[in-house]
Amino acid sequence: MSVTQTRAETAAGTSCWSCKAATNGAHFCPACGKIQPLPRDTNYFTLFGLPEKLGIDAGALEQQFHKLSWKLHPDNFVRADEFERNLSLERSSELNDAYRTLSDPLARVEYLLERGGMRKEGTTKQQAPPELLEEVFELNESLDELREARESGEDLNELRGRLEPAQKDFQGKLADVDGELNAVFEKWDAALDSGASKDARAALMAQMNEILNRRSYIRNLVANVEQELAKTS
Amino acid sequence: MEIKGRIVGIDLGTTYSLVAYMDHGAGHPRCIVGPYGSTLCPSVVSVDEDGTVIAGEAAQRRLLTQPERTIYSVKRLMGRSVEDVQDELKHFPFHIEPSNGNVIRVRLGEKVFTPPEISAFILRELKSWAENFFKDTVDRAVITVPAYFNDAQRQATKDAGRIAGLEVLRLVNEPTAAALAYGLHKQQRGRVAVYDFGGGTFDISTLKLISTDEGDIYQVLSTNGDTHLGGDDIDNVLLGVARQEIRRDLGLDLSAHPGCVQDLRKALILAKHQLSSAEKAEVHVPLEDGKFYVRDFTRREFELLIEPIVARTMGPVKQALADAKLVPSQIDEAVLVGGSTRIPLVRRTVGEYFGRAPHCELNPDEVVALGAAVQADILDSGVTTMLLLDVTPLSLGIETMGGVVAKIIPRNSTIPASAQEMFTTGVENQTAIDLHVLQGERELAKDCRSLARFQLKVPPGPAGLARIEVKFLIDANGILQVTARDLRTGELHTIEVQPSYGLNDAEVERMLEESIEFAEQDFSERQLIESRNEAETILKATEKALNNETVAELPKAERAAIDQSVERLRDSARGSDYKLIRTNIDELNQATMHLAELVMNGALHNALEGKRLDDV
Repeated sequence: MSVTQTRAETAAGTSCWSCKAATNGAHFCPACGKIQPLPRDTNYFTLFGLPEKLGIDAGALEQQFHKLSWKLHPDNFVRADEFERNLSLERSSELNDAYRTLSDPLARVEYLLERGGMRKEGTTKQQAPPELLEEVFELNESLDELREARESGEDLNELRGRLEPAQKDFQGKLADVDGELNAVFEKWDAALDSGASKDARAALMAQMNEILNRRSYIRNLVANVEQELAKTS
Repeated sequence: MEIKGRIVGIDLGTTYSLVAYMDHGAGHPRCIVGPYGSTLCPSVVSVDEDGTVIAGEAAQRRLLTQPERTIYSVKRLMGRSVEDVQDELKHFPFHIEPSNGNVIRVRLGEKVFTPPEISAFILRELKSWAENFFKDTVDRAVITVPAYFNDAQRQATKDAGRIAGLEVLRLVNEPTAAALAYGLHKQQRGRVAVYDFGGGTFDISTLKLISTDEGDIYQVLSTNGDTHLGGDDIDNVLLGVARQEIRRDLGLDLSAHPGCVQDLRKALILAKHQLSSAEKAEVHVPLEDGKFYVRDFTRREFELLIEPIVARTMGPVKQALADAKLVPSQIDEAVLVGGSTRIPLVRRTVGEYFGRAPHCELNPDEVVALGAAVQADILDSGVTTMLLLDVTPLSLGIETMGGVVAKIIPRNSTIPASAQEMFTTGVENQTAIDLHVLQGERELAKDCRSLARFQLKVPPGPAGLARIEVKFLIDANGILQVTARDLRTGELHTIEVQPSYGLNDAEVERMLEESIEFAEQDFSERQLIESRNEAETILKATEKALNNETVAELPKAERAAIDQSVERLRDSARGSDYKLIRTNIDELNQATMHLAELVMNGALHNALEGKRLDDV
């Protein structure tokens, strides 16, 4: 790896860095065809020419991703000078980051919330949702017993028998949460279409954030159970 | 514009390396045949008493006679630390010099080299093959690496290219290169799994091959593997069995006889190869003190011995499919790459998992180099009609509080890929922020691979005032670049970089200068010297064999044929045609086969002083 520290910003304006023609945020200069830096106000949605909706046609997104890859990939710039090579590297990495984020529904909504200032990395609360407290408590108890039993070499079948239905139960809850999330996605897209107020959108974002936190909690729980069960089988 | 030389594709393998080019007339890539008539260049390097370095077939022959001056499988050491390779040292005769630096140094005779320098000798050998073939300079290359190579291993490979005087235009993952060659050959579309089991590394990649208006896209969906799992490990299992039996039955400890171990290893590898087509293989190796190791291996026994190694490949296979969100039945084709996929058990295992017979119509030894040549041509021509979208095999993370790793670029992200993080100060008048970058899937920093530690310098001020934006970017080679921008001040700050493993630029530059002296020697001149040396060796051995009493049993006609061959070889060795010398060496080898057998079977095999059968 190589490391450099610099404050040199790539000039990202509305005119071409090479021929000074107006670019209007295009990927390539309409006049001279040179690759352009990413305009400052671009986000993952606008990069693909999409509205900030959560319902995205995966096939169309992939096609657009491939179209842009053909143009921006460093393979096309092996013979270009260093400045253009670096631009291509920057632009194609942005494109890949954007596609990676938007092609995954969960990463997509997290990105949307982050942009809206509703979700910050590393601050996700890992608290049990109140309505699940009792069940989570029981599950954790069973998991502890399973671990102890395994260490002391006791018969695990009975414990497994208790954990497996609990595992199914929580997997079902995960599916429910995903359903909830999808429903809010649709509400969000409809709100955008109808030009809903800023407050209305913020309320939807808060709702999505709450569901995501719950989902992340249940997902971790399911993963833990799966891991423990895998160790005993 | 500066005039450039030719561009080639190179497969820098653990056991063998190859060089290929795009044959525009034929419309497909081809491997270049070396001076020994094969496209395979053994990845072996040897240093002479006079300091001359030789690589390839000639070096491989010295493994038997001068094992302490010769090294094989150096790829296992690339981008690793002394601590990392302790396990390897049990199985490989590497003479590692004690050092406190972060780069391994290997002793070969009187000289000491780093792994990139040793690999550079192999690359120079291939470069000379290609230059001899084109009668033109070769100065740029696409080099393949195992898909599961980490940043340090990739950087070490790139350094090797530079030291060899090659501009490395791209590092391409081996299974991806294979898919490229294979897709071009078959016009295959759909989902493909490439199972690449080579001499020292194992990779599995899943890809999607798509036709678009602009051309074909090869999009890697996921990759996994084990950079220390290969045919070498199979050889080591066999070698372990043989050495144990030799100790038990013959009371002989081979630790003090490295030449014997190499003889044994060679015979076992031959048996391994035979067992790919035969049901039984015989091993017959002369040892010290007039003792022989004679042993039959059946395929069944062989398969039982290697089953655990083959099973180890399946963990990464399952993970790669899970990461691509695929089940085996969704894979349209499974493609086999690498010499170890010739083993029937491997084919069976892969076939059973995917529920279909795997494809292996392209030569599994050559397919990676052919793919590298295709990519080299794409980069050279400037007209892209095929696009490779590869992924990073390992997650990239930074160490946070409590030694926990925060992942910032997940594994299997399409490259180039990037992530930006903002850093600030935690206490008043803090002047630097420490960063630790790692690669790996584990939660804790101590379980991941350290890439680098560095400091962001900040001007003193209240806590939380500094705003340093750090951008992590994995380029199309899978190598990380880090840039830091101070968003608040206008000053330029430097970062103190401490790469955890690897060479710095100045070291690479120095090695490049040093290595140029090795490049000066003309190709044919070097071939001539090597072939004369070989001729001398075989002539001496023949003379010795003829002086021993078993010769009485040799029919007159045979003796006359040997004498004739000896004369012819002597004559040609006085001339300067290295090809003729080689032909005559082969001829003498043929003529002395029976003689060698007599000596082997006779009581006086010691007269041969451990020479190989075909050297006699």
